[in-house]
Amino acid sequence: MIQLFHVTKRFGANVALQDISLRIRRGEFVFISGPSGAGKTTLLRLMFGAERPSEGQILIDGINLNRIRRVKLDMLRRRIGFVFQDFKLLNRKTVFQNVALASEVLGERQSITRKKAHQILRAVGLSSKEQAYPLQLSGGEQQRVAIARAMINNPLILFADEPTGNLDPEITKEIMILFRSINLRGTTVVIATHSRDLLENTDQRIVTLNRGQIVS
Amino acid sequence: MRLWVRYFRYAFANISNNRLVHVVSTGTITITLLLFSAFVLFFANIDNWVLEWGQSLSMSVYLKQGVDEKAKQKIKSVLVGIPGAKLERFVSKEQAMEELKETLGSQAGLLDGLNTNPLPASFEVAFGAPERAGIDIEKIKKKLENMPGVDEVQYSEQWLKRFEGLVSMLRIAGLVVGGLLCVAVLFIITNTIRLAIYSRRDEIEIFKLVGATDWFVKVPFLIEGSLQGVLGAVIALGVLFSTYSLLSSKTIQVFGLPLLHLVFLPKGHVIFIISLGLVLGLMASFIAIGRFFKLFYY
Repeated sequence: MIQLFHVTKRFGANVALQDISLRIRRGEFVFISGPSGAGKTTLLRLMFGAERPSEGQILIDGINLNRIRRVKLDMLRRRIGFVFQDFKLLNRKTVFQNVALASEVLGERQSITRKKAHQILRAVGLSSKEQAYPLQLSGGEQQRVAIARAMINNPLILFADEPTGNLDPEITKEIMILFRSINLRGTTVVIATHSRDLLENTDQRIVTLNRGQIVS
Repeated sequence: MRLWVRYFRYAFANISNNRLVHVVSTGTITITLLLFSAFVLFFANIDNWVLEWGQSLSMSVYLKQGVDEKAKQKIKSVLVGIPGAKLERFVSKEQAMEELKETLGSQAGLLDGLNTNPLPASFEVAFGAPERAGIDIEKIKKKLENMPGVDEVQYSEQWLKRFEGLVSMLRIAGLVVGGLLCVAVLFIITNTIRLAIYSRRDEIEIFKLVGATDWFVKVPFLIEGSLQGVLGAVIALGVLFSTYSLLSSKTIQVFGLPLLHLVFLPKGHVIFIISLGLVLGLMASFIAIGRFFKLFYY
């Protein structure tokens, strides 16, 4: 599903990632771990097509990101979900509108969008908060909205960058259960985290980065 | 079609959610277009005044002393035959003296000392502005002066020509200043809209994150820009019209010449300014959002 071949990313003289080769299979659940500044976020951004590698090749579902045209990249992103530590929700839109947005960009009928949004919000346990605004919700609820938005189009891959970084342990557990259930439905899940708690209690694959290189 | 309905829905929702930013943008467009429209109005009035003065172009054909009736009739028939010319009247020597006395008023006594009437009889001819096009007044003057019985021909063209020269210079200056003003308007609007877009960069980022195409993100902004442009132009014209109505109720005197009435912009100019607002709003949004997209690869 995801293949990286000798990928290096430089920002000026600064080397963020060096000679990364990685293969993540369809339906896998992978943690990218490492201390702050190890290159976890850069790696996710490269796999999402938000950055281009300085060297090397990245293939997502067989598509080479180095050669992809901008419109094709937009199309690919519709099959990829992304969850951030800071949720990235639109505070002036309701929970429902935030989630529906990802379906609307596909140009789907409003009735279909509405149905999908209701379903996914029910799945993340937020049916009763559809008309609330993000700032009226707790951190855990906001993250669930972000996950619902990432999942509404039933993506092939879900990337999450420190998704529990702002949440307390109890909520973190809930969010991780949600990710696990998403993975069980067939979506490849890649989570970048530096949280030891998350990594200690898992039997999933862990890729560890340090100073821009894979160390284990 | 479904997409366009969605674009308009987004645009109106954005306007409603970002009212303050839109008020500021529309206000800026209004002020800049008001300046531009005022400038256009000024030139429309100058043009109108030139036209009015042009319509009052007159020619006086002075006759020699003691000219006989036959020569007079011949001159008259030539004058009537000039295309676009209208023979206003014949002023006899006596009439000319009467009019001079009237003009002098209380000083008319000065003329009492004259033994003979030195004033010549004359024909007065008027030219309508549209007919003036293509008429070589200088040639007519020469032709008439060569006729027996004609002493001198005078016309108001000389000073009008000088004035028209000044106006055409003003018009060139106007085009240059107007062009510069348009560029300035575009620059100001672009930057205002850019600020508005910048305040919504999170929104653009999220749209790109969920796989929206560039056009899906851009079109609502372009609609907003166009609406702001049109609204700004309409408000600017409204303010200009109110000011015009206030001023035109008063008699304006220019160079001591009374009754130069003000005119408002013709319909074509009004449509032009509204279209300009639309185009400027659209272009400014297009430039602003284009620059913004370059900043983020998302």
